[in-house]
Amino acid sequence: MLRITDHGSAHTCDGILRRDFLEIGSLSAIGLTLPQLLAAQARAAESSSQPDDGRSAIMIFNLGAPSQIDTFDPKPDAAAEIRGPFQPITTRSADIQLTEILPHHAQHADKFSLVRSCFHTAAAVHDTGHQMLQTGRLFTGGLNTPHVGCALAYLKGRRSDLPPHVILPEPMGRTGGNLPHGQDAGFLGKAFDPLALMADPSKPNFKVPDLLPPEQIGDVRLDRRRKLKSLVEESMQRFESSQNAKLLESNFETAYRIMTSPQARDAFDLSKEPPAIREKYGMNRFGQCCLLARRLIEAGVRFVTINTFITVFDEITWDIHGSKPFTSIEGMKNIVAPMYDQAYGALLEELHERGMLQRTLVCNLAEFGRTPRVNPAGGRDHWPQCFTCYFAGGGVQGGRVIGRSDPIGGYPAERPVEPSEVVATIYHALGIDLETTLSGPAGRPFPVVDFGKHEIKELFQA
Amino acid sequence: MTNQRYFATPALVLAVMLAAVSGAVAESGPAESSDESLRILPGDFALTHPESRQRIVVEKLRGEQFVGEVRDECQLQSSDESVVKIASGVAIPVGNGRATISAREGQRKASVAVSVSGQENEHVWSFRNHVESVLSKCGCNSGACHGARAGKNGFRLTLFGFDLDADYSYLTRQAIGRRIVPADPGRSLLLTKPTGTIPHKGGIRFEPDSLEYRVLAEWIAAGAPGPRPDDRVIERLEVFPKYSQQQLGGRQQLLVQAHFSDGYVEDVTRWAKYTTVNSSVASVSDSGEVQIAGSGEGGAKVWYLNLSELAFLSVPYPGMVAPEVYAQADRRTFIDEHLLRKLQSLNLPPAARADDATFLRRAFLDTVGILPTVDETVRFLCDNDADKRERLVESLLARPEFVDYWAYRWSDLLLITGDHLRPKAVETYYQWLRTKVAANTPWDQLVREIITASGSTHEYGPANFFALHQDPETMAETTAQAFLGLSINCARCHNHPLEKWTNDQYYGFANLFSRVRSKGWGGDYRSGDGLRVVFSDTQGELLQPSKGKPQPPRPLDGQPIPFERTTDRRIELADWLTSSANPYFARSITNRIWANFFGVGLVEKVDDMRITNPASNESLLAAASQFLVDHQFDLKELMRAILNSAAYQRSSESVPGNASDDRFYSRYYPRRLKAEILLDAMSAATGVPTEFKNAENKPYAAETRALQLPDASVDSYFLKTFGRPERLITCDCERSDEPSMPQVLHLLNGTTLNGKLQASNGRIHTWLESAAGPESIVKELYLAALSRYPTPEEELRLTSVLAGALADPANANERRQLLEDLVWSVLSSREFLFNH
Repeated sequence: MLRITDHGSAHTCDGILRRDFLEIGSLSAIGLTLPQLLAAQARAAESSSQPDDGRSAIMIFNLGAPSQIDTFDPKPDAAAEIRGPFQPITTRSADIQLTEILPHHAQHADKFSLVRSCFHTAAAVHDTGHQMLQTGRLFTGGLNTPHVGCALAYLKGRRSDLPPHVILPEPMGRTGGNLPHGQDAGFLGKAFDPLALMADPSKPNFKVPDLLPPEQIGDVRLDRRRKLKSLVEESMQRFESSQNAKLLESNFETAYRIMTSPQARDAFDLSKEPPAIREKYGMNRFGQCCLLARRLIEAGVRFVTINTFITVFDEITWDIHGSKPFTSIEGMKNIVAPMYDQAYGALLEELHERGMLQRTLVCNLAEFGRTPRVNPAGGRDHWPQCFTCYFAGGGVQGGRVIGRSDPIGGYPAERPVEPSEVVATIYHALGIDLETTLSGPAGRPFPVVDFGKHEIKELFQA
Repeated sequence: MTNQRYFATPALVLAVMLAAVSGAVAESGPAESSDESLRILPGDFALTHPESRQRIVVEKLRGEQFVGEVRDECQLQSSDESVVKIASGVAIPVGNGRATISAREGQRKASVAVSVSGQENEHVWSFRNHVESVLSKCGCNSGACHGARAGKNGFRLTLFGFDLDADYSYLTRQAIGRRIVPADPGRSLLLTKPTGTIPHKGGIRFEPDSLEYRVLAEWIAAGAPGPRPDDRVIERLEVFPKYSQQQLGGRQQLLVQAHFSDGYVEDVTRWAKYTTVNSSVASVSDSGEVQIAGSGEGGAKVWYLNLSELAFLSVPYPGMVAPEVYAQADRRTFIDEHLLRKLQSLNLPPAARADDATFLRRAFLDTVGILPTVDETVRFLCDNDADKRERLVESLLARPEFVDYWAYRWSDLLLITGDHLRPKAVETYYQWLRTKVAANTPWDQLVREIITASGSTHEYGPANFFALHQDPETMAETTAQAFLGLSINCARCHNHPLEKWTNDQYYGFANLFSRVRSKGWGGDYRSGDGLRVVFSDTQGELLQPSKGKPQPPRPLDGQPIPFERTTDRRIELADWLTSSANPYFARSITNRIWANFFGVGLVEKVDDMRITNPASNESLLAAASQFLVDHQFDLKELMRAILNSAAYQRSSESVPGNASDDRFYSRYYPRRLKAEILLDAMSAATGVPTEFKNAENKPYAAETRALQLPDASVDSYFLKTFGRPERLITCDCERSDEPSMPQVLHLLNGTTLNGKLQASNGRIHTWLESAAGPESIVKELYLAALSRYPTPEEELRLTSVLAGALADPANANERRQLLEDLVWSVLSSREFLFNH
């Protein structure tokens, strides 16, 4: 059995060695062909021997979907039943107007750029938009494409003791469609799934569940347990062809690494932040996730996905249908926008002050927009035909508006942008060549984005 | 203009085959195998009007099996080019008459008879059959475009053309008649938009020189005739080759013929829509060409005018397996013959038989959800009787823990949770279920009792089904999903895009539940007493929103019930549902039972029994379902047949050639223990039970196992993290058995396992109290946790670690901690965490 360590050297399997990131059994067992094996070897070698480009990304996914007209794409000249109750405000960018409910965004409008002409043609349920905006594709034919952060984990591996991709606070839950949301590694396999925090960092005494061993088990016992476990685990051949068994082992290795790394433990320790900073982000779940995301990027995580909300059913979110159990435009103004606006402003400011913005893309995505006409319940419904996404950092030039929607915010009038282009933009900012291929089902090469799809160049041009 | 239907009668087929074979035998050289012949698909055919076309595919036949297309090496020839000619694999009529088309590949030949007629007639494209199919093929009436509820840009079509009259009206009556311009067809929006002549947000759907354009243009020029009552109506599709064996890297062009009500047959290959069923095996292009990507069972779904068909593609695994391997393989129950046949057709070798210890542990976990005790393990392993495995199976099926385990599994299915039902209701429902499982009530009877339940939710458990689901649509959808494995939800708003269920059928089905009412509200799940008295009213209907009237109540595609009948409609529904003739009912429960023991269903996902999601082994699923029906739905009979089969008793160790199989059961697939089973197993191995508290924070009886909990809302971080279902939706996907980081972190650092290790009672305590020696500790630990003896090597390795510390009388603390660490290492090993 051949083992490939992060250091690009192979060991034969006598003795008990620390199993590292990638372990290969018999080639047929996990379906790797020799070229793929060598490619994996090369990647593992490359990730440690070449200097890392230091690029990272934070994806803020506004589950529920903000109303574009009431937030980033105001239509002050449209009829009352379209423009809604909010006034537009000027911002730090001459090109950008936002609505009055986003004053912090206005302060930082020189750092981000809006794409107001996003659209998609899949069914207007949340799940399809989740899939398309996070993986670039709609799932069909039984094929689950990977989240861009998971593809990154696959291509580049980890950069520090922490996993390469982390989801805060937890993966998306029920949004009514019973479809996958595209927040895992799909056909790449669960080995490249993100680590989910599974906790609320705004709670007092927040800690990552079970991150550290209990007091009675110090480092010595931890080590002894690890050795005993290796003794007990003979290499049972029956587990060689079990993906789940391999995944379990790889999970253990990741766990040990995180547990024994002071850097990793510190990254999750929000008590190390001064209270004033924590207050600046807002002592709520989303605010503290943004702060935690900054810390994780500093600690070497490549990609942090923040789900602003987790479900449309048990919390008040952007999904402002107006009728119960959803809130209305008013509710969004009072409950959702303030905490969102404050947290985003704090995040951009801190990234900027710490010199991280240049190499950290911050993208704010949603699964669709909302109907131009306010409905009788004082809300707006699903509208994938036109919505806004925005980007900051990672080489993006701020203060711009790319694309334009029509006078009622119903359809793109100029420069329509598909979800695949949004995802291509993220890959581009991370320095991934758009023609890179992943190892698809049955080993066939699977391009990270569909051929012919490019990043939104207008975001990056000088 | 009646057209004779030409089809490949068996006699004709035989004649063609014999001709091909005899030709081959007479002329074949040593290089060709004489049992391979050619066949021209679709067989004899007729071209009956000037626009008739027939795509031709030359297929290789080995015995009775199609084994791939012959293309470049093959020459196609018409015997009379004044009757029919061939261009790019398509037969085109020239003049009335008869001819033959023959194919020749090397020394092999085949031919088909072609009859051409009606060439003098003028052909008019039909709205129903041709215009609608263009609108479907080009995506115009898809959900993403004009088939959306609100259409696009003011132009709406019904989704995939499910309402012809509406579509005809939209096309000809709206938009001030600009969509169709009979006097100048080229100016019609119907043509200028999809060709991009006028800006079209949907892009260019076809070119002006395409057949699609010609169909629409000629139809407009002919006066845009609408659908007529005497139009021929499509009845069924036929796809060629329906079953074929393919090679890796191979290509196969599919053919589709539509059969109409008047006997007319048309080649619709160029109009049909194609999707792959399993993209890891094959992909399929828009023109129906399949490209093989990997080994296994795949297929292509073919759609035309709201009918679907499947073409099955079987791709053997690479490598060579001698026929003796299969001939000599173990066969113990009816399951084995079907399974081995599939393995042989796919070239997958079966793994060896699992040893006794492996079988013991596996059978215990899969049948009753617990580990055998140390004593039970020793007794079984030391038993020398040849039939001890059969006797073990019998004893498992009779154990009291059987009731716990299966009442729990069915509670998952029926959604018994305190998150949705009040405590008294939960208890009533759960106890009723337990009683049924304990009595081994046949499945059809159990389902009947649930569906037809009336009465108080505090007294009659299954009445709670109608407390959990309170409107007819939800009742209908849940019934279909839970008991038929069918998801009909999409048909709520329009005809189901993937299946044959129409909006009418959905509302007919839901109308079966429209008279179910209850006295008393019972509060909601957070408060109130949960008391509802369910009954069936004698009047009331559910209106179908799109039509504003009720549909006659009928179970999906069963017989409708007259509106005025006042008997409980659910009784007839239950008759239809549980009938042995119902194609979905037996298959669905059979598949669930199968997946319980093998870890992977014959159909995956387990509750996705769509026509277009075929089983990995159809003959096996059909046989197992029939077996269950023949045994009056006695689930234990099916379990017995499974447990005693050679298939179930295979090792999970792969042999060369079957390591990548994950669907065909050439070996057992190891899988992580389910959350509840794992927690209980840890309790048993450490001798320290888990304490559970109910909704009122009162502890359950001491030593209550997780599998004995009546309620999925019982608080447990361990169970939640390890994938216990929330029982909020009827979906097998709620439970997850995959490993994850939080699980591993919890095993390492969490309180559950560490708490059991540190407890003052339990196995470790007993070892210390009795001053047990290292050998007996290691033996007992392996027997308790892994259900086997340690190998001499393992024993040596571990006892040498223990020996020093245990002998030292001074440091009791150190001894204790070492034993805790040892037990931890075994309970966190794959062998413990997995069922293999």
